[in-house]
Amino acid sequence: MNPTITLSFTLNGRPQRVDVSPNRTLLDLLREEIGLTGTKRGCDVGECGACTVLLDGRAVNSCLVLAPQVAGREVVTVEGLAPLGTLAPLQEAFIHHGAVQCGFCTPGMLMSAKDLLDHSARPPEREIREAIAGNLCRCTGYQQIVEAIEDAARRTHEAR
Amino acid sequence: MRPFSYIVAGSVQEAVAALHEHGRDARVLAGGTDLLVEWRHPGARVPRVVVDISRIESLRDISLEGRDVLLGPLTTHAELIRSGVIRSEAAFLASAASTIGSPQIRNRGTLGGNIMNGAACADTVPPLIALGARVTLSSVDGERDCHLSGFYNKPYTTVANPNELLTQVRFPALPRGTKSAFTKLGRRNALSISRLSVAAVVAVDETGVITDARIVPGAAQTVWKRAMEAEKILIGNPPSVALFAEAGRVVSGVLIRETGRRWSTEYKEPVIAALVRRTLEKCFAVND
Ligand SMILES: Cc1cc2nc3c(=O)[nH]c(=O)nc-3n(C[C@H](O)[C@H](O)[C@H](O)COP(=O)(O)OP(=O)(O)OC[C@H]3O[C@@H](n4cnc5c(N)ncnc54)[C@H](O)[C@@H]3O)c2cc1C
Ligand code: FES
Ligand code: FES
Repeated sequence: MNPTITLSFTLNGRPQRVDVSPNRTLLDLLREEIGLTGTKRGCDVGECGACTVLLDGRAVNSCLVLAPQVAGREVVTVEGLAPLGTLAPLQEAFIHHGAVQCGFCTPGMLMSAKDLLDHSARPPEREIREAIAGNLCRCTGYQQIVEAIEDAARRTHEAR
Repeated sequence: MRPFSYIVAGSVQEAVAALHEHGRDARVLAGGTDLLVEWRHPGARVPRVVVDISRIESLRDISLEGRDVLLGPLTTHAELIRSGVIRSEAAFLASAASTIGSPQIRNRGTLGGNIMNGAACADTVPPLIALGARVTLSSVDGERDCHLSGFYNKPYTTVANPNELLTQVRFPALPRGTKSAFTKLGRRNALSISRLSVAAVVAVDETGVITDARIVPGAAQTVWKRAMEAEKILIGNPPSVALFAEAGRVVSGVLIRETGRRWSTEYKEPVIAALVRRTLEKCFAVND
């Protein structure tokens, strides 16, 4: 019962092989087996969005994905947004707009915003608010986060 | 989470064979947004065997066959919302899907999971009942078709056997010009599990009278069904705010007669009436 299985998938652009028990979640796998702790554990039941990662390019709650379900798929975490030591335009905009306070929600917010901007070049404010509706922030009141995402969208758009 | 053995089904045949072999010990896993929450509850009944169907590509299609819309159970809520077929043939199903959970939940949660979990607050079910949807269940013994309207004995309880896999959802596209809408009242905007909702369909002929009306309240009764008494009031009359309000009163009256008066009745009675009226009005709103 429950022997570990060997899982191969792409993590932040690189092939990853890891042994895991099938009853672990993607969030457990990232934080506890692989040691990428950027992805946060808040509620563990899909309600806070702190654990958001991209699975095949779309934002999902990693606490609700069974680890073996990512075999052969592509996972991007906050650590994969920019090469080590650099920041992605979204991350810079979050800092610039004061969208980070305690920072606990930030990795999840960034991943939801990343999904949005990857699929919609200049989203209106309403769409930005919808995109982060599954991410709770107890500190900022959301306005700075919305502004940061708008700004990152504008800058990315102008750079193209 | 308690340990279990994990089987990846590469095809419907493999999935139903695994369900046949393991019977009540097995559980089908699709997007996992209901199951993973359930399995984390202290004292939850975690299955001995998990049959992961999420890789069966043939269960992912959205297509038209004549005027019938065919949906694979692995269609996610996000895919329903983006689908041109759904937006043009059953717009309120896309509206209902867009109210589910959050973007993350909609990217992962599937239509089949929503139907099979059968929570009283399952948001795709009221529109599907209004559409006259049928579901196909497959097992090693073959396939059978059921009307979704007779599919639930009570919330969380379907007529499906543990060895059966939901493999298709099918409904007739709404006739051209027919209008539909879905409204949901939740505690918050995002992540609100619906407590009360209404799905409605209305068609008006060239003389300006209503020729087709379907109203399905969600999360308000023990099983979903069309509010026939209210539908009858609408048919043969021209649409008006007063008529819609009257239909709303009839729906709430019937629901309360059937479920009995409870502590929540005083809140629900006017709310259901208003929700029905608003949903009918939405059918005629320009931007909906
Ligand atoms: C935070 C949060 C918010 C939510 N908000 C809403 C909401 O607003 N409205 C709403 O309706 N739901 C909501 N849900 C519930 C859930 O997301 C949906 O019901 C979703 O559609 C379930 O699909 P799934 O693929 O994730 O199901 P899973 O968890 O994989 O499965 C659910 C059930 O269906 C069975 N099953 C799945 N597919 C099949 C199949 N093809 N054949 C046989 N059995 C099958 C499973 O065995 C299980 O019993 C929410 C969930 C969370 C965690
Ligand atoms: S930890 Fe996954 S949504 Fe809260
Ligand atoms: S910055 Fe503290 S929760 Fe968002």
